[in-house]
Amino acid sequence: MRPLFVTWEYPPYKAGGIAAHCEDLATTMADQGHEPVVLTYGEEEEVEYRDSVEIHRVPASQSASNTLSWAMNLGHQMEKKAIELAKEQDFDLVHAHDWMAVPGATGIKNTLSLPMVFTVHSTQKGRDGIDSDYQRTIHNLEWYGTYEAEEVITVGREFSEEVKHNYEVPGDKVNYIPNGVNLEKFDNHSENLNKSKYALDWEQIVLFVGRMYPQKGPGHLIEAMPEIIGNNPEAKFVMCGSGATEHYKNIAKSQVGEKVHFPGYVSDHELLSLMKRAEMTVAPSVYEPFGIVPLEAAACETPTVGSYTGGMKDTIIHEYTGLHTYPADPASIAHEVERALSDPGWSDWMGENARERVEDNFRWEQISAWTTGIYSDALK
Amino acid sequence: MKILLLSKELRDGEAVSEYVKNLAEYLVSENNEVTIVSFDDGSYYSIDDKVNVNRFPLNFEGDNLYNWSMMMNNEMKGRVVEETEVEEFDVIHANDWTTVPGAISLSKQFETAFALTLHSTENERGFGSEESEVISELEWQGTYEADKVLVNRDETRNSVLFDLDTPEEKLHMIDPMKEGWQHRILNTYKEVITDEKQVKN
Repeated sequence: MRPLFVTWEYPPYKAGGIAAHCEDLATTMADQGHEPVVLTYGEEEEVEYRDSVEIHRVPASQSASNTLSWAMNLGHQMEKKAIELAKEQDFDLVHAHDWMAVPGATGIKNTLSLPMVFTVHSTQKGRDGIDSDYQRTIHNLEWYGTYEAEEVITVGREFSEEVKHNYEVPGDKVNYIPNGVNLEKFDNHSENLNKSKYALDWEQIVLFVGRMYPQKGPGHLIEAMPEIIGNNPEAKFVMCGSGATEHYKNIAKSQVGEKVHFPGYVSDHELLSLMKRAEMTVAPSVYEPFGIVPLEAAACETPTVGSYTGGMKDTIIHEYTGLHTYPADPASIAHEVERALSDPGWSDWMGENARERVEDNFRWEQISAWTTGIYSDALK
Repeated sequence: MKILLLSKELRDGEAVSEYVKNLAEYLVSENNEVTIVSFDDGSYYSIDDKVNVNRFPLNFEGDNLYNWSMMMNNEMKGRVVEETEVEEFDVIHANDWTTVPGAISLSKQFETAFALTLHSTENERGFGSEESEVISELEWQGTYEADKVLVNRDETRNSVLFDLDTPEEKLHMIDPMKEGWQHRILNTYKEVITDEKQVKN
């Protein structure tokens, strides 16, 4: 099959998880004999062939006043490129990823008469609400995507219900396919962490990875830090991610001083080393449709202490692959982190279980096969 | 000749709508086949029943006219592709930037001649909103992609020449207040179709 992926970000450009998702999915599909073509944003027009995937980048206007107008403009540029590509090759369908791809994908669907599949990775309502005109317009675009698509894919089981409810999508049109982990990437990586950059010899790294925004809950972890340090002085918190870093850094430093470290930009390689070396990762998200961190940590045999919400209800099995906390509850976070820290043997056992579970349930080969199955439904 | 006219709206008394209606009625009286596709805001319009009219609703409100127009164009393309014999049009004639994205896509996909009337430019309108730059870029893109650019008056002609850098040879000033204007537009269609045929041959 030849799907046309529409995504605003594709590696090396990436801000969130959509880029990695699209790359892993497209690459695996190509391995399985399909011919995915990716249409994405680039500073200039270019084409690249990587891992048997054809990637086309198109620029968008630099004059857009906000992300919404920018996405509209990018959509129009992508559609022109799709029309040009379709003169040379036939696409089976267009596959859009999140609201920023909806303007481009719906235009392509209509002009080229292609079926459309729409993957919803998160919702505006869940991210930061639908109170302003701007936010309501994004919500409206998300609805439009689910309305126009023949099939909708969501990345979380509980999240499927949210999508059906938010956009009044008929149940039989919504499919749950989890995100996956590219285990090879983790296995080929050789850990060479210079631990002294992050922690003292005797300290245990408790790692947070994620954008520093309220949705990801870094503030709740910071609130839990003094109690954890009080009972487990060996804990050292390492907080990786972009966003409102300075804001959270100031609060955390005022609470626990040297026991927390914000390394700033960390390369992918270094991040894997940190994940492998850490005692655990903590994912204190308040809202998390899927949440890739627990699976990436699992690939590194590291357990995750994560909120019992959204995708993490499925990606963490309490007391088997990690520990669940109540969402937005610092006392609960402190309690579970301390349990894991005080029994390293048990933590290691949970890390091993987590890895095994990822191998069995969250491989891209499987996810790609499910996705092309949905494509067949969309083509009916 | 088969002509597709694109307009943001079709409403009695509204300037662009009246232009489109008058032009369509003249064209059908000269034995051309004309289809108007526009957004349906529910307002009343009256037109010669020889003109095909296809109005569509839009389930997208948008927080500003630019974002609304971009999605309106997506819906419009769907309507044109699904409900008209799109491959048979000789000319797609868009009106203002609000129908430029659709006209560009359709003319590229179906290799149809593209005429654009700019009834005014964003520069003339004062460049007063946060979206003015992207709107003006769309106007530029429309004039760049169009085979013929039509304007109604000197002020717009000057703005198109100097603000949008449109080559003078594809620009035509045809004043809809002057008798015979619709006939002159029909002639520009014929010119562009002849040019296209020469290029294709």
